[in-house]
Amino acid sequence: MADILSMLVNSQHDRFDDIAESWLAMGATSFSIWENNQMLAHWPQHHQIQPGELVAPIVAGDAILGELHVTGLADPASVMRLKAEAGIISYVSQLEYDLDMMTSELVQHQDQLLAIYKLTRSMHSQMTIDAMLNFSLLEALRMIGAQSGFAAIVPTNQEALLVQYPEGILDEAALWRYFWQMHTRDREFVLISMHEQDKLLLPPGVSNVLFIPINIRNTVAAGVGFLNKPEEDFSAPDIKLARAIASQVSAQIEMFLLYHETFEQAKLQSEMDLARRVQLNLLPQHLPMVTGLDLYATTRPAFKVGGDFYDVIANEQRPFFFSVGDITGKGLSAALLMTMALSAIRAKASFMPNPTPETIMRQSNEDLYNNFTQLGVFATVFIGQYLPEQQQMVFANAGHSPVIYRPYNTHARLLKAASTAIGILPDIFCTNENIVFRPGDILVVATDGFSEACNQQESMFGYDRMLDLIDEKADRSAQEIAEALFSAVEQFRENHPQEDDQTLIVLKGVAA
Amino acid sequence: MDLTIRSEGNVTILEISGRFDNRTAPAVAEELEKVTRTEPARLVVNMTNVSFVDSTALATLVQGLKRCRQRRGELYLCGLQNQVYMIFELTRLDKAFTIFPDEANALQAFEN
Repeated sequence: MADILSMLVNSQHDRFDDIAESWLAMGATSFSIWENNQMLAHWPQHHQIQPGELVAPIVAGDAILGELHVTGLADPASVMRLKAEAGIISYVSQLEYDLDMMTSELVQHQDQLLAIYKLTRSMHSQMTIDAMLNFSLLEALRMIGAQSGFAAIVPTNQEALLVQYPEGILDEAALWRYFWQMHTRDREFVLISMHEQDKLLLPPGVSNVLFIPINIRNTVAAGVGFLNKPEEDFSAPDIKLARAIASQVSAQIEMFLLYHETFEQAKLQSEMDLARRVQLNLLPQHLPMVTGLDLYATTRPAFKVGGDFYDVIANEQRPFFFSVGDITGKGLSAALLMTMALSAIRAKASFMPNPTPETIMRQSNEDLYNNFTQLGVFATVFIGQYLPEQQQMVFANAGHSPVIYRPYNTHARLLKAASTAIGILPDIFCTNENIVFRPGDILVVATDGFSEACNQQESMFGYDRMLDLIDEKADRSAQEIAEALFSAVEQFRENHPQEDDQTLIVLKGVAA
Repeated sequence: MDLTIRSEGNVTILEISGRFDNRTAPAVAEELEKVTRTEPARLVVNMTNVSFVDSTALATLVQGLKRCRQRRGELYLCGLQNQVYMIFELTRLDKAFTIFPDEANALQAFEN
């Protein structure tokens, strides 16, 4: 409260004038105001300065702010009046002082608010969490008036990050130990005063500490520590300010993480889109016209990329082959192996001398067995060859189902596989099988995405529904039969999502 | 689906009951992975009470079979109900696995 009285005399000079005039009118020869034995003002102005005969101290609490002096009067009424005026002036001084303090606090708060606003805005322009933490730490240290500090973040699934200012105040291992020590205290803030007796709580060269844990996605996964506030300890406003900064840092880190995740997701998405395009391009782009056959084939992947494939291989001067396959597992790995299996079979069907489904299958198993075994997957594959002159279908089935054969004059039935899937046994023991394939005969080679499609009640579409539907639609074209199967499964599923790829080839004999 | 694990000498018996499908297969896969960590991995999968298998279940068993063989062991199946056996036949996995009518026969085969 030093010099509060002189400030009051300056600001309220007219009112002191009135008081002095009234003393002079009452017969006083002078009226003066003193502070620390120095005269602040006196009346009348031309009068020679001299200490008064009547003196009343201006007291605030235990402190004496100054004195009122009067000369030329000494009666008891004047003594009482001077004392009363000193009391009023001391009260007004106190109010003036409080107002002054409040004003300066308000200004300080406004400054801090503005600083936080600026900090938040500048945080947005930081491109990495590292840069943002560094920047925030520096600004926060400046605002709080601490000489050094650190900030750390320990995000899930990402590398932890520690920044300190100035660099190397503590070695990194010690700083991490300290960070965790502070963290485990599980409080809204940790304050260690310069008067702390337990010096273990203060690292070497550190006089006081304020640590604020930072919540990230509802877990304490970061924190900021302010070290060495010179001369005094961290105050309640410092703590408030530090917490306000910490909550800004928290929001900013969360935004960074979200941005990072969204970016990664978008990247993955576009890679998956690309993989999907590549995969679809590997499948036949056009269905060939084959004498004696009405042919339709398509696939509907459940995921962006799938493990199902189909192929039709019609090269001039070469026999006509088709294949359907399903790699166990889902997603990208299944998709990669699918491309391997598809290429292996296609290459053999296109270039092997005297290929048959059996030889293609055996060779493909030899090629793929080691890779598939290493990865713990296998592929069920059906390879068919149509012989128009003999009206026959030759095929090899490595563990694939459902394969449905419907001769034109009887009911549809399931054909069992003759050998295990590719990638299970080193030697596949596969053989060629024959069925007659006359006009009106139907062969449907589908994947388990049809038979194992589930509805809301978790029951499966099953083989019987497929057989019945093929009987029912036997007089339709290959494409119509395929579409009927897709729509029956979709209807059956109701709102239950498609969980597996659905792929099929429908072949129907037609008069050449 | 229920899963119990027992031991008979140096053979582990994994008994599965209920539906064995894409929802329950991960639990079986996890157990298979655990019991095939030691050599030789000798395993009987008792499927007497399995009412249903889908392709994921088959894939899980094939993976188990391969792991057992890599660990100088063997995986035997036993107690397959008709509708389950039919799926094995349809995909010819009856050729890949050695299948016994019951647990006693499967354990006997390990002794031999």
